[in-house]
Amino acid sequence: MGQTICFHKSNSGEIARMRLKLLLVSDQSHISPGILDRLRDDVTRVLSGYAQVDASRITLGVRKHRQQDEPGAEPIFYISFPLRQKYLEKT
Amino acid sequence: MSEVMVVTSGKGGVGKTTTTANIGTGLALLGYSVVLIDTDIGLRNLDVVMGLENRIIYNLVDVVEGNCRMKQALIRDKRYPNLYLLPSAQTRDKTSVNPGQMKKLVDDLREDFDYILLDCPAGIEQGFRNAIAGADRALVVTTPEVSAIRDADRIIGLLEAEQMGSIDLIVNRIRMDMVRRGDMMSVEDVADILAVDIIGAVPDDEDVVISANQGEPLSDRDSMAGQAYVNICRRLTGDAVPLMNLEPHRGILVRISSLLKRA
Repeated sequence: MGQTICFHKSNSGEIARMRLKLLLVSDQSHISPGILDRLRDDVTRVLSGYAQVDASRITLGVRKHRQQDEPGAEPIFYISFPLRQKYLEKT
Repeated sequence: MSEVMVVTSGKGGVGKTTTTANIGTGLALLGYSVVLIDTDIGLRNLDVVMGLENRIIYNLVDVVEGNCRMKQALIRDKRYPNLYLLPSAQTRDKTSVNPGQMKKLVDDLREDFDYILLDCPAGIEQGFRNAIAGADRALVVTTPEVSAIRDADRIIGLLEAEQMGSIDLIVNRIRMDMVRRGDMMSVEDVADILAVDIIGAVPDDEDVVISANQGEPLSDRDSMAGQAYVNICRRLTGDAVPLMNLEPHRGILVRISSLLKRA
């Protein structure tokens, strides 16, 4: 789910992809896109105090919402980012 | 014993009816006995796309209500061996039939056909519930556009909640020129976002409009969309065909094996 480097003039396709990912998490978690956006910004800010984090590689997601669990099983909402050990050393 | 497939999407206008018509004729050309069922009550279209609109006497609602026998309602397509259409009603609405009745109707057809294809209406209400009632598997059709993908995601969620046997994705109306420019999401992007196995990718093709104008399904025409539908039929029958190279000039077939997780 990482970013692809694109040398084309237009990146509307990439914009669509990013919007859709956020939108589907919103639809599946029933958390509005606006709140998800703010949540991601807040998390980025907090994490930046501990490590150099590329904001674009912080992903939000919903897991097990669409698996065949019992009806009414709670979806798991997660925030994840790739962990590089050197970034967590005190700077 | 039949395999019963529902062709659904959520969003309207992404190619469910076109897909149903072309997969149906493709399977018939491979030698299987096929029945197509238009479950869009009130807005029927499968008859028109198939070019069989002048042969309708009875329809789905007539069968459910017992006004006629199934044999009287089924239209045999004389162009293809063993291909039949059960048309929908134009002057009724989706409350005329309930999921229990649809399941019984589908089960009654199982012993007579190798494949039963249900063309599902757009939406998530009664029409959708009717169409999925008897189905073993679902083919979800989407285009590489934001609203279609969003609706497809919702539909996939509903199908999974209904314990649908298997769910496969068809990405329709791809324009490789736009994908290359970065103005359209690719087949891989769509598969990644929806997290569902791809069973086919169909390019945007003028021949789709032409074939609907004429009431002649694509599958036996020389077109890229037609070839894509033929490949989907082969995959449905167990032949693991690699995804076509969708570039406008025909090149070597490109194996995108990571997208074909099932034969």
